[in-house]
Amino acid sequence: MAITRRQFTQLIGVGAIGAAVFKAPAAFAQDGGTLRIAMNTSDIGNLDPHFASGSQDRAIVDMIFNGLVRYVPGKSDEFEADLAEAIPDPVTNDDGTQSWTFTLKSGVKTHATDGADSADLTVDDLLFSFTKAANAETSAYAGNYAGWAFAAGDGENEFVVTVPVPISTSLFLPNVANYSGGYVIPQAAFEAVGAEAFVSHPVGTGPFAFVAHTPQLSVELTAHADFFRGAPQLAGVNVMFQADATARELALQAGDYDVIYGVSESSWAQRLDDLDGFTADVFGVGEVVWLNFNIEHDILKDVKVREAIFKAISRDNYVALSGAPVGEKVFSVVPAFLPGGLSEEDAEAAGVNYQQDIEGAKALLAEAGYPDGFELDMIASEQTAYRTTSEVLQEELRQIGITVNLEVVQHATMHELIRQDRNAITIYIAFRPTADIYLTQFFSTDGGVTNFSKFTVNDLRDQARGELDADAQAELWRQANIEILQNYAGYGLMFQNQVFVRRDEVDYGHELTAVVQLYPGINETTSMG
Amino acid sequence: MATSIAAAGGSAPGTPKKALISQRQRAFRSFMRNKAAVVGAVMIVFLVIMAVFAPWIAPYDPLVQSTINKFQGPSSAHWLGTDDYGRDVLSRIIWGTRVALQVGIFSVIIGAVIGITLGVTAGYFGGVIDNVLMRIVDIMLSFPDLITGLLVMAVLGAGKTKLIIAIGLTVAPRFARIAYGPVLGLKETEYIEAARAIGQSTPKIINRHILPNIAGEMIVLGSLWTASAIRLEASLSFIGLGVPPPTPTWGQMIRDGAVRLSDLPLLSLAPGAALLIAVFAFNLVGDGLRDVLDPRAN
Repeated sequence: MAITRRQFTQLIGVGAIGAAVFKAPAAFAQDGGTLRIAMNTSDIGNLDPHFASGSQDRAIVDMIFNGLVRYVPGKSDEFEADLAEAIPDPVTNDDGTQSWTFTLKSGVKTHATDGADSADLTVDDLLFSFTKAANAETSAYAGNYAGWAFAAGDGENEFVVTVPVPISTSLFLPNVANYSGGYVIPQAAFEAVGAEAFVSHPVGTGPFAFVAHTPQLSVELTAHADFFRGAPQLAGVNVMFQADATARELALQAGDYDVIYGVSESSWAQRLDDLDGFTADVFGVGEVVWLNFNIEHDILKDVKVREAIFKAISRDNYVALSGAPVGEKVFSVVPAFLPGGLSEEDAEAAGVNYQQDIEGAKALLAEAGYPDGFELDMIASEQTAYRTTSEVLQEELRQIGITVNLEVVQHATMHELIRQDRNAITIYIAFRPTADIYLTQFFSTDGGVTNFSKFTVNDLRDQARGELDADAQAELWRQANIEILQNYAGYGLMFQNQVFVRRDEVDYGHELTAVVQLYPGINETTSMG
Repeated sequence: MATSIAAAGGSAPGTPKKALISQRQRAFRSFMRNKAAVVGAVMIVFLVIMAVFAPWIAPYDPLVQSTINKFQGPSSAHWLGTDDYGRDVLSRIIWGTRVALQVGIFSVIIGAVIGITLGVTAGYFGGVIDNVLMRIVDIMLSFPDLITGLLVMAVLGAGKTKLIIAIGLTVAPRFARIAYGPVLGLKETEYIEAARAIGQSTPKIINRHILPNIAGEMIVLGSLWTASAIRLEASLSFIGLGVPPPTPTWGQMIRDGAVRLSDLPLLSLAPGAALLIAVFAFNLVGDGLRDVLDPRAN
């Protein structure tokens, strides 16, 4: 069929317009509804949920696994039943122990994997998983389950958790929730994959199932059609690894990502929020930035030196790095938004709201025998929050004559080295769901290598554990925080909220107030318009 | 070869001193006629003045932070604005010149000393020594500059002195390879054989007859590699393996500013421009010197 030049031109024109019209939405097509979220690391660490600790790992395992109970999506202070039918009331036994009897929901399907077909989750799986979580060789969170016992109940699908002494709901539930050791691992799948391979090939029951891990690039998840709360609205999730913040930002704007881990800086978040088509979410939980002072260090064992350093510090300098609402001050290691943390008024009343006083600090150093200051070596992480905190501290100490020789190393290396007591002052940034966990991990003999300060509040921590009255318990935790400050062993600087940016089409499916897994919370209700 | 000796200011036996001075003057005049090279030299002088007089030129202490004044745009108080810690960007660039020049110049000196020693030794003695030394040089040359720098820094750790050593070791095989070739020819020349015949010692022959004859090429190479060393220092600092904080370095400033490239481009662009100027200046001077001193360029 012959066509004229004009017809040919018209055909090309129509074709071009048609392509443009149909291509436009395709520019935002998400591979059939696969959400692409970019995290701020170069790869996974460990996807066995009982070891996962990096923010990228916590986000991934949260989409793959469930707990007996779960934090209400988008909130960090409310629980609801998840794998369990309901949250049980505890029973105090004749021998003084306390039992919690859960009833496992029927029809919870595990993900299929090579060597283990999808199957109903059973009480045996719960037994296997919690026994693993409580074993220090198979879990990094075993300390949270010291003395706990697990058994099948008398009734159908019943699972009984027994703790050695009665504890409050607020202390118990985080350990059986969708966080750390509370994630449930199906036994058959774990054994089929093998413990070694499980760290990069997790299998659970959650809304998304693991498909593939491409080192240094991504982890691919697909929707779990048989998920017990209903099939996810997304076809899948691709967790991409891009450590460079600028690259993440540009890729988001280019349409290569749907959600990115942001920069913890308020003006950056505001700028991204002002862009058409994008929303910056600033939400909790805030990760606390605090300093641990090694009270056994050659120089810092002199309390006057530690006091001098406290007087050199101004929280304003640190908070200004992030700016409100991303960063806010804390007045103790346990933040005030958790029971047991000190508010500014609490710290003021206890006389531990230390203020910057450079001349006073210099005078104290002179009294301690260091009129010309001294030198300290410090290992710092390359990760922005750690590096910036280190540099501000370095400058503050320079003002009182203390020279801090910073050695910036990879983040994982820093964690390894600070556990070898390489730092006299250790910066740590972390969220823990209860004051008990903060005090146990960092200020008790049970903390082991993470008791960076060597200062302990075991007695107050133990008293608080046995206290069932929530107000009295919080007061004991506050006392522990005051002791830490009075002994110049730990100094809470600020907490830093999470910053994520998404395309406006992304709807997480829940309000975003605070998420303990340190990401926006992606589940079966998350969708893209 | 006679041209080479004369141009390089070499000391062939019997060369009258008056003629030698005249040749140096001629070389200087030739360099001064190269406008691009003169511009480069002026830029280098400017950078050296900045580095030496940084404490007096910089408007602020480059280390003093004021986090509540972070990310300020250019103003009369802070011509290039402030960085993420509220530090004056201009002051940090001026102080950064010190690190750039120190690392650039000293690493090339270290590299030249090691490289020329290797190249001359291998070329002059030949045989097994030649084979062993030059194969080592070949292996070192097979690694890209940045990779060699990374490897050495990974072993030595961060720090200015270590950075100078790392870049020096990266540069050394380049000098060895360039020094090696001419020595092979020089050692067969009649005046070297004559020097041997009258019983001059090997060190004396190398010092008085070999080194002066390769000096021109080495100076050219040194000036060009100074530019590369400055760039390499910035690259290593950019990836966090350079001089540790709080010492200001251009590469570190470029990296830190990159995250705000779209709204505060000066944070990265200003130190980037300083780096560009320094590299450009040493390259211009290197090209000019090559036109004057390198016999192959003539």
